[in-house]
Amino acid sequence: MSTPLVIFIIIVLLLILMYNSLISKKNQVENIFGSVDAMLKKRYDLIPNLVASVNKYMEHEKSLLQEVTQLRAQANKPNISEHETIALDAKMSSALGSIMIAVENYPELKANENIMHLQATLNEIEEQISAARRAYNQAVTEYNNTIEMIPTNFMANAMKYTRKEVFEIPQAQRENIKVKELLNA
Amino acid sequence: MKNISELTDFYYKVLYPDLQHLEQQRKALKKKITQAALGLTFVLLLIMGFLLSYNMPVEVFVFVGLGYISIGGFLYKYMTKEYTFDFKQKIIEPLIHAIDEQLSYSAQAYVPRHVFEHSDLFTSRIDRFRGNDYIQGKIDGIPIEFSDLHVEKKERTQKRQEYWHTIFRGLFIASEFNKKFHGKTVVLPDRAQNTFGDMLGHWLQSNNLHRDALVKMDSPEFEKEFVVYSTDQIEARYILSHSLMQRILNFKHKSKHPLYVSFIANRIYLAIYYDKDLFEPSVFHSLLEYKIAMEYIQTLHLAVGIIEELKLNKKLWSKQ
Repeated sequence: MSTPLVIFIIIVLLLILMYNSLISKKNQVENIFGSVDAMLKKRYDLIPNLVASVNKYMEHEKSLLQEVTQLRAQANKPNISEHETIALDAKMSSALGSIMIAVENYPELKANENIMHLQATLNEIEEQISAARRAYNQAVTEYNNTIEMIPTNFMANAMKYTRKEVFEIPQAQRENIKVKELLNA
Repeated sequence: MKNISELTDFYYKVLYPDLQHLEQQRKALKKKITQAALGLTFVLLLIMGFLLSYNMPVEVFVFVGLGYISIGGFLYKYMTKEYTFDFKQKIIEPLIHAIDEQLSYSAQAYVPRHVFEHSDLFTSRIDRFRGNDYIQGKIDGIPIEFSDLHVEKKERTQKRQEYWHTIFRGLFIASEFNKKFHGKTVVLPDRAQNTFGDMLGHWLQSNNLHRDALVKMDSPEFEKEFVVYSTDQIEARYILSHSLMQRILNFKHKSKHPLYVSFIANRIYLAIYYDKDLFEPSVFHSLLEYKIAMEYIQTLHLAVGIIEELKLNKKLWSKQ
């Protein structure tokens, strides 16, 4: 075999490898995003029940409950983008955190079996969402690295791949979680 | 559960009469063993000298040397048998009951082979499976079992000589995990990345054919010590929350030995590679020495302590 032919074959192979790696990273992100989305939906499904149960007691937190209901309505709209999903999740997490802290101020709510069950389910889903977020962030980081690093960046440009956003866990929310943990302990 | 200083008190106060008795036994035994070793070595030297004068080939010397080692090992085991038995009955068993009365102890039994295989921590073929010092029971309502294990496989050198290769030797612990999950997640010591650097090590790990997909965790400290493989990217992170990763790291630093952890079918398995038989009586050092005593106490405390250390007793709601 002549040398130019060998070089040509190697280049083609490298291009195929690069292309496949980009596709698999993109698919991994989409795949995990699907799971995140499914878990977020599970959490949104709990909201009407939660609002209905605490509505009677929580006089001072009406606006909070309204916010949660609105957020759910927004999230249930068809065809929302990944960017919107991420933003809604951040708002939802912090609003739910605040409600859960507020529940602690109402002894009759804290003792209510329905609320206790809801709280437990929410905690469990919260843990699952957190795991899914972390998996998504890792997949996105790998994807972003690939599309920005040489040599795959040239091909990513040609394929019009752009950076994706990760879930950021705002400081305020982290503190909320800590408070929750303290109260549960 | 009693803490380490309470156990040390127990060791030196309650067990003191037995320790003293064993100490006398040990001194006599040490003398006997030294004499036997000297005698055996003398015989070896005689045979070697004899062989040298006849210009024997090297293989014969190797054969005699191996014979010396195996006879020595056999003699040592035979001579220490009674002392070992007394030690386990009078020291180890009471210590275990002092930690928790509900724990049961058996000097001869060990964690069954199917449990070890189920853990999937070591994927090699197993040819010999041995162990001792089996401890089993419930702590805080959580079932736990652990024992010493020595797992080996038969290998051949290039000259087709057989020898035993150790797959695992140390403490093996099995317990129940506090979260529900379906897949399989395995946490192993990170050798590749430490040896070959980040880039090449990572590439090697992601192409490990014996294992499931590589999971890169979001804790740099944890990533440095361990490598994680799992059937499910999300579930691996559901199991290995930030707090559990921190606790596993703490546990690893406490045990000071390579740590293997796996999560399969709602169970957690831990293997600590000590590379020696644990809970055996010391023959050449006094049982009253603080260092020796601490080794027994700390190892036991470490194993029983995983339930508290990893918070396996804090069940999530879904498992209640």
